[in-house]
Amino acid sequence: MAEVPAGLASPEFSSLYVENSRAIYYLALRFLGDPQKAEDATHDVFLKAFRKLDQFRGEASLRTWLYRIAINHCQNLRQGWHERHVFSNADDAVWENAMARTDSPLRVLETKELGQRIQKTLDGLSDEYRLLLLLVADEELSYEAIGMLVGQSPDAVRGKLHRARKAFATLFEKTA
Amino acid sequence: MKHQTKLTQEQQQHAAQHQAQQPAAREFANAEELLRYDAAHTPVPPGIAQRLQKSTGDLPGSKPAWWKRLFGGTQP
Repeated sequence: MAEVPAGLASPEFSSLYVENSRAIYYLALRFLGDPQKAEDATHDVFLKAFRKLDQFRGEASLRTWLYRIAINHCQNLRQGWHERHVFSNADDAVWENAMARTDSPLRVLETKELGQRIQKTLDGLSDEYRLLLLLVADEELSYEAIGMLVGQSPDAVRGKLHRARKAFATLFEKTA
Repeated sequence: MKHQTKLTQEQQQHAAQHQAQQPAAREFANAEELLRYDAAHTPVPPGIAQRLQKSTGDLPGSKPAWWKRLFGGTQP
């Protein structure tokens, strides 16, 4: 959990930040692949939340609502600059015949540069797979909530997740 | 024979030391478990909270009414 920030607008906003900033920052970091952009994005997401929480209708959890803001924000950023420069070779067909098995564990010998390996792997995936994996890594999110965030049914999320895991495992092996 | 035994012991010792120096392999059942580990070891930069402090402080009416609705009137 993030350190309690002193001097935020209210104790409630501090709580919101403390409980959710790690999740939002991590999503931004690994989705955008740039620590500085992730820092800016996290700041902007919480500032938007601060301004717009009166629009929060309580149909989803606050965490899910923050993710919605973060995903929109990060996708807008990527549309602005990333897609022009990055070619992703990942689509469903590419991974159908992938070598890696999803039931094989991912082995890591050196955790020192693990973040770089993970980033390199995620960068090779489509936005859809990257986002799915990042969301499902948050144990607070149900498949229903993830489905809502990505505009898919929970069953579709499960199916795509299976292929996303396979794609990740295949690429991760190559980064060793 | 004695010399041979000594060498073997040294070799064994060296092998044991070498093994001890090797980092233990860590296994993750799947991608999300690996990402959870990574997330848990990725600190949030403290600069974000500092910037938010300034940004929210600069806003007019920086303690909006929704706090009251959402948190049951616990606003200080």
